Order: sequence, then structure tokens, then C-alpha cells
Amino acid sequence: MKTFSKLVWPYMAWITVFIVAPMLLILLYAFTKEGNSVLTLQFTLNNFTRFFSDSIFPSVMARSLKIALMTTLLCILFGYPAAYCISKLNDKQQALAILLVTLPMWINMLIRTYAWRGILSYFDFDSEIKVLIGMVYNFIPFMILQIHTSLSKMDQSLIAAAEDLGANKTQTFMRVIFPLSIPGVIAGITLVFLPAVSSFFIPKLLGGGDYVLIGNLIENYFVSTGDWNFGSAISLIMAVLIIFSMFLTKRIDHQIGEEKE
Amino acid sequence: MKKLIQFKNIIKEFDGNLVLKGIDLDIYENEFVTLLGPSGCGKTTLLRILGGFLEQTKGEIIFDGQEISKVPAYKREVNTVFQKYALFPHMNVYDNIAFGLKIKKQSKDVIEQKVNRMLSLIGLEGYGKRNVTLLSGGQQQRVAIARALVNEPSVLLLDEPLGALDKALRKEMQYELKRIQQEVGITFIFVTHDQEEALTMSDKIVVMKDGRIMQIGTPADIYNEPANEYVARFIGESNIIEGEMREDYKVFFDDRVYDCVDFGFKKNEPVDIMVRPEDLEIVERGKGTISGEVKSILFKGVHNEIIVQTVSGASKTVTMHVLQNHDLTNEEAGEKISANDFYMDLEDVANLSDAEVIARANAQAWDTDDELVSLSKVEYEVKEEPGVYPVTFKTSAGTAITVKITVLEPKFIEDQRKGVGITAFDFYKTADELKESIALDTDLCIWAKAEAWDLEDGSPIEIEDIIYDFDEETITEGDFPITFATKGREFKVHTTKSSEVGKKVDILFSPQDIHVMSKMGNL
Repeated sequence: MKTFSKLVWPYMAWITVFIVAPMLLILLYAFTKEGNSVLTLQFTLNNFTRFFSDSIFPSVMARSLKIALMTTLLCILFGYPAAYCISKLNDKQQALAILLVTLPMWINMLIRTYAWRGILSYFDFDSEIKVLIGMVYNFIPFMILQIHTSLSKMDQSLIAAAEDLGANKTQTFMRVIFPLSIPGVIAGITLVFLPAVSSFFIPKLLGGGDYVLIGNLIENYFVSTGDWNFGSAISLIMAVLIIFSMFLTKRIDHQIGEEKE
Repeated sequence: MKKLIQFKNIIKEFDGNLVLKGIDLDIYENEFVTLLGPSGCGKTTLLRILGGFLEQTKGEIIFDGQEISKVPAYKREVNTVFQKYALFPHMNVYDNIAFGLKIKKQSKDVIEQKVNRMLSLIGLEGYGKRNVTLLSGGQQQRVAIARALVNEPSVLLLDEPLGALDKALRKEMQYELKRIQQEVGITFIFVTHDQEEALTMSDKIVVMKDGRIMQIGTPADIYNEPANEYVARFIGESNIIEGEMREDYKVFFDDRVYDCVDFGFKKNEPVDIMVRPEDLEIVERGKGTISGEVKSILFKGVHNEIIVQTVSGASKTVTMHVLQNHDLTNEEAGEKISANDFYMDLEDVANLSDAEVIARANAQAWDTDDELVSLSKVEYEVKEEPGVYPVTFKTSAGTAITVKITVLEPKFIEDQRKGVGITAFDFYKTADELKESIALDTDLCIWAKAEAWDLEDGSPIEIEDIIYDFDEETITEGDFPITFATKGREFKVHTTKSSEVGKKVDILFSPQDIHVMSKMGNL
């Protein structure tokens, strides 16, 4: 093992350059004034007070959270039955079904979203609905895969045991299959909620100019306005929110785990 | 006792394979029934059909007077203890046991009362709040039994429930299961491949093989009066001999007619005869029923297992010519070469190849560093008639050796009475080659090309005995006889007494110790 431990260094270097350093830079930018050079750093909390004093920013944040939650909920609602049906197929059919679920991912997400823009232009939907459709479409495979994994590795004799003890199909599902698949659902929530809450090109392409989410806001401040300091502050607030929501899902997962003790 | 379950001509087919080939079986109230058989015999399939997890292709199951084939699993009055327990990992012990009662929507206090009663029945009082995944195998087993029994089924199905436990725990659970069955007074149907489990616990054993029932009976019946060779071999240890029923109470085997207590066979009907090893006794020569010689003694703890040969097998003796080392040295090329003369069967001449000649002559060449050098040329001219022919092996550097091939008419020994043919050839070896052998008996068979076969169908028969009187470590040149022999008639005797290998003894048994069985036919 020791000989292989050196292999970790390239990865560490990669993480440092492309993840840790940018994060530190965001932290630095968020707490400093615009137009600073490295020599004359001026620390400030103005970026944050600006965010919370103007009602528009928190409302965009709330809208982002709302749409991400709705996306996650819809993904569970449609993804769970899909995953359940797939897990009932035989091995060959399962492999094919999983392939079909993941097949769209072979095409660039941007292209697929452009295609949806074309399709949705025929319908007179709300911007929000269009964005929601695009999000659910893009993220549902992650939910299906996670739930399918937890369902398909479930011990089939547990289901037989439930039937043996008098449970009909519905009771077996409610009391045995669903509770045992919750870890998969939670993993799916993490994989859907996080990209959904920070997505920027789906609302940009499908929502039209008037539908702004937090991801668009960040993009705007970095790319168009050039106000990296405020953009960094928004990113940081969002990062804190995401960490908090992940902590929450972990807690729920844990509680379910503890219930059986 | 009342008939509780009737299987009527149950047939089960999986993808064109018949797994159950017509099972007829009656099971009574309060019986402990064991389905016994090796894996793949259909015992678990039968259990799963009764549990409602599989549907039979044909046939009827009558449960308490009603046909239940179309009744789904959750409505049947049977409960199952699964092979790996299948406890719900997201529930504690209490909730696992209460599962069935909660499904039936019984009131909370009733559930609590029943679950607690079960916990004390299985000896796990106070374990209700425990996480089932943290229990030991034996404890999980008990919880699985309690979870099934709390529903007060009229039949409990147990699918190899003790398979995952270690030996000591398995013994303990055997008694425990029997006690629980007697206490709750319901029918247990227990599936196992372990004959000891079956004999210990059952009121009735059903021996199965390849989707058929071989025998149904009490443990004593099955042990003492097995229906056929298969059952006799599967349950306990046995000596099984082919013979012929001359008339009632007279059975013939190994050249003699013996008295027995069996009757009702046709005159001169071919039969299988079983004698249990523990029914045999070893006595002094002249005082027993059959004479023989002690071949081996094995200590088995409670008893010794002594093998006594009463009829010797077919045998063939050959001569091994041991030579001095005869390497030829080629000083110029710095190489050495060696090869042996060999004998061969006239029939093999037609298919002789260079590789075969090299192998049979054990021809080898090597350089000064002891690295093997390949033989580039093998020259021989062998005619398809008996005689002596030279063969020359050469390396590319020109080192050469010439040896003799002696072609012989094949010599078989055919022992018509035993129905066995055997053959072997004389051969040449150097003392060094003998010393280098790591499995001498096997090597001797290969070198002598010793083979034995069944005269009837030509199938190979194992050569059991290789008899010689030399020590390969100290052997020098000369001729040595080696005898190859097939297994003769051997009796396995279980006795607390001891004996010595090679001792001439008699085996003593009485007519009651012989059990005559019908031939299995095409089962």
C-alpha cells in the first residue's frame, strides 16, 4: 500500500490548484472591496449587507431554493416508480433500461437544453414551468440510478418474508421495500438538489431573460458586470446554504438509521 | 391423527427442466416432517410451492380439505423460516416479531402480550429493543422462528434453517427446535441435506432425489430398512453389495448363498444388499461368516473404521528394470544426454509420435549449466509387429543416444468372474528417476501404463492397490516385481476393538444384519 500512496500527490495538486485555491479566492473576494490590488487589500462586509438590504437578492435565492426543491420532489415522484419498475425486470432488461436512462447523458447537456427550448417554444407555458421541465429532465437520471441501486440490491427474501407474514403487495411496499430504499432516495436528493439549486444555463435558456435564479445572478456579476467581489459574496452565501441543506439530509438519514436501534 | 396437507402428483417445470416429477405426500397434524436430499433434489422447491412463492406446473395441494394452489402466499396459514432468516434490518427484534400481528391489525396490548410470550419461548426475554443485525446467528435464528410462530400458523416451514450455524450451535438448535415444536404442537416441515439433523428431529423423513420421493418413513425405518441403494448410501454409512435373491430368505453374493430375513422377491432377482458397518464384528479366523484380511484401520473417535478385504481384486504383475544412470557425455559440445529403453503395446504403434517417443523414453539432454537442451531429432523405424527396434535422440550440437523399443502383443488379464480387465507393461527406470518421484504410486501406474476397465461397458476402473517390495530411496539396479490390482470386495467395519493391518480375520454377522433392497432401475 505504501508504494501506491505516492499516487495521491498528483490528485492533491489538482485539488489544490483547481478547488482549494479558487475557494480561497472566492472567500478573499467576498470580504474585500472592489478595485483592490493584492497590495492594498481592504476588508469589508459591504457585499453581504448589499445582498440582504436589497429585497431582490434574497427573493432570487428563495426562488432558486423553491425551484430546486420542486425539481427534487418531482424527480422522486417520477423517478421512484421508474426505478421500481426497472428493478422488477430481469437482468438483461434491467441493463437495457439503465442504458436508456443514461443514454441522453452521452449528449452534451447544453445541446439537450437547446433542444428543449425548441420543443417548449410551441407551448405557452410559464417560464417557471419551462425551467422546471428542463431541470427535471436533466437531473432525473441521477435519482433513478440511486433508487434503482438501493432497490435492486435489496434482499429478495425480505419481500418473500413480508408476504409470508401476511402482508399484501401494498403493505409489503410500505413497510419493507420503501423504508429500506430511503438511503437511495437520500443519495438521489443530494445529487439532484445541489446541481438544481445552482444551475444557471437551464433558466437562462428555457426561462427567457426575465426568469433569474441565483446561478444567473452569480454568472452576471462575474461575466457581465465584472463585480467579482459581489459575485463571490453570493457564491459564498449559496455555498453556506448548500452545506446546511446537506447537513440536514445527513441528519434525516441518520435519524432513520437510529430508529431501528 | 388428521391429514393436514396432501400433495397430489405435484410436477414442477423450470425452463423445460422437471424439478419435481410427481410428488405424492401426506402430512399429518403435529408432525415433524423432514424433506431430506442433496441440493437440487427439489426439496426447497416443494417447500416454496407450499409457502405460495412458486406455483406448481401440475398437481394439487389440499390444505385442511381445501385446494390452495391459487391462494396467494400472504393468505396461506403457513409461515416460513427462511434460509438466511430474512429478518427486517430496519426493525428491532420486537418489531420483527410483531410484523405479522401488526399486518393483521391486532390491538397493541395483544401484540405486546404475544410478542413477549414468544421472546420467552425462544429464550430472548429483554431483547426486544435490540437491533437484529447485531444479534448472533443463533439469536437471529430464534427471532426468525418467533416471527413466524407468533402468527399461530398450523404449519411452520423451515428451509435449511440451521445451515449457517456452526456445528455446536446447530446441535443445540436441533434440540431447541424439537422442544419448540412439541411445546406449540403444530406441524413442522423441515428441509435439510443433513442426515443427522433429519434423524435427530423428525417424526417422519421424506428422502428425495432428482425430483422424486425415494422413501417415506420414520427415522428408524429409513435407517434400518432403506428402500434402495440411494437411501442406504445417503443415510448413515453402509456396505452395499450387488447380489441375487435365490429364494425367500436366501441371498447370493460373492460366490456364496447367505441366510437373510428378507422375502417377497422374484426368483433369482438381481438385488442390492446392505450391511451397516456397526453390525459387523471382527473375529478370529474360523469363527466368523466371511474370511478376509485387514486392509486399513482409521481412528474415528468413538469407533475404529476397519476395512476388511474378503475377495481380492483383479491384478497384473510386471517387472520394473532398474538401471544405473546412463548419461552419455559429449565433451566437445559440453552436453549430456540420457534415455531409457521402453516397452510398448503393438496397438499403440500406429499412433506413435516423436513427442510420445521422447516421453516414453524419458529422453533428456542438458548442458554444463544443467539447463535442458532441446532434442532436435528423433530417429526410429518401428514396424507394426512385435520385435525390438532402435531409436536415436540427437541434439543440434550432435550429442546422440540410442535406446531400444520393445514392441509386444497386448497382454490383458480378463477376470470374467469379477468382470474386470487389467493390463500393465514392464518398464525401465533409473534409480535417480525413482528417487525424484514425488507421488510414486501414481508414477508407477503411468510408467507401467497400468489400466483396468469394466468388461461389460469398458468404463475405467480405479487401480486401488500397487504392491511392491522396494524402498525407492535405497534402490539399486535389478528387476523388481510390481503388482497392480483393482479393489476387491471390501467391508467397512465400525468397532470399538482394534486390529492390525494385514491380519487374517473373519467378519461375523447374522441373517438379521443383511438387508436386501430392490435395484434402483432407471430412477
